[in-house]
Amino acid sequence: MTIRSNQDILEARKKVRELATALEFPFIDRTLIASAISELGRNIVHHAEHGEISMRSDETLGATGIVITASDNGPRLRDVRATLPEGTSPAGTLGLGLPGVRRIMDEFEIVSRPRQGTTVTVKKWKPQ
Amino acid sequence: MEATIGGTDEAPPQNNFEREYARALSEYLLTGGEGPLEEAYELGRQSLTAGDGVLLMLQYHHNAMAAVLRGAPSLGDPLEVISKSCQFFAECMSPFEMTHRAIGDANIALHRLNETLEEEVRRIALALHDDAGQLMVAVHLSLDEATRDMPPDVQARMNGVKALLGLVEERIRDLSHELRPAMLDHLGLVPAVEFLAANFRQRTGLQITVESSLNGRLPPKFAIVFYRVIQEALTNVRRHAQATRVRIQIGRRGNWIRCQVTDNGVGFDPASAVNAGLPGLGLQGIRERMNVLGGKLRIQSAQGQGTKLEITAPLQQVDHADSDTPRRRPSGST
Repeated sequence: MTIRSNQDILEARKKVRELATALEFPFIDRTLIASAISELGRNIVHHAEHGEISMRSDETLGATGIVITASDNGPRLRDVRATLPEGTSPAGTLGLGLPGVRRIMDEFEIVSRPRQGTTVTVKKWKPQ
Repeated sequence: MEATIGGTDEAPPQNNFEREYARALSEYLLTGGEGPLEEAYELGRQSLTAGDGVLLMLQYHHNAMAAVLRGAPSLGDPLEVISKSCQFFAECMSPFEMTHRAIGDANIALHRLNETLEEEVRRIALALHDDAGQLMVAVHLSLDEATRDMPPDVQARMNGVKALLGLVEERIRDLSHELRPAMLDHLGLVPAVEFLAANFRQRTGLQITVESSLNGRLPPKFAIVFYRVIQEALTNVRRHAQATRVRIQIGRRGNWIRCQVTDNGVGFDPASAVNAGLPGLGLQGIRERMNVLGGKLRIQSAQGQGTKLEITAPLQQVDHADSDTPRRRPSGST
């Protein structure tokens, strides 16, 4: 789904919570997954004009997970190395933003190419 | 703040944040939906960025819940009300969870940084001792050879130069010892501290006694932290205390290692010193080193009363290794 505004972030949170509830993720994980959407969405709205967030379930070796992909073709050329380190902004020193997403999810991958935007893929596995 | 948890029935005064919080919570309890939950998340994020703590958030939540229940006493099934209220609060706390996890990672990074620094210091100490020391020997030999056939007055002047070189050599040796006492690695904490104390005594005239009831060797990582803290404490005594006597006591109680450094100097107000950052940098450094060991630092002092610095740390230490890997993942997946 397209992310342009806070309203879109809200819709994405709603969808991911429905998915997590359907997959019977525990309460705390549902909250953390919705938080990940908020931070990924905020990142798109702040750093690009618009982007996409998609989510799906994933089954690997009997484990159930949720995969979220957030991508933007942000006109601003960004450097992945400049995206992750912390300590430069107030949110950064508090561990919010993408570093925060990395910590509350189980897997995290970021790809950024000049003029092609940034794609962040995160996964959360249901405890077995 | 008037109403505390378990407090009165009176409505407490509300700030903007509390009003927003209460409105969103009330909306969630009455109608549900993602909107108020998203607001809860953003409110939590905003509060965290403003520097609020988790207990204050709990107070806000309690106040808001009390206000909502006063306004709408019959919200339905109490169990469902509690569960929804908890869901709402969890959303608000989620940003704090990120910070909480970040602190864990930061401590691990600090731990590694300390280890890297210690390794670097060891390397420099060795380089000073071995490389620079060897070169000094070569310089002495060359000088001897060069001056052998010179007239006596030149030789006399050269002897002056050699005496200076001898001082340089001594200084390099001292520096190397201060940086990384080889003794700490070879003989352990207590002999290294005794050597440190002897050097300090010689340089400053301070009367320093070292008492130890330790049996056996401490793990190297442990010993180096205690050594550095004692070194820092002695430096503080020399700089600030105007003391004449220092007593260092090292001992073990159960699984805890304890060290006290007591001086008879002018003392200081520990609270104001940390706030004013006076000897604060040193104390901060000590505190961080103790954190890495899961230990504690305690300072007792008052104007004119001398200072007692006490560090304690448990011998069993959590191993932080490999925490870069994700917390959970199905086995065998990539």
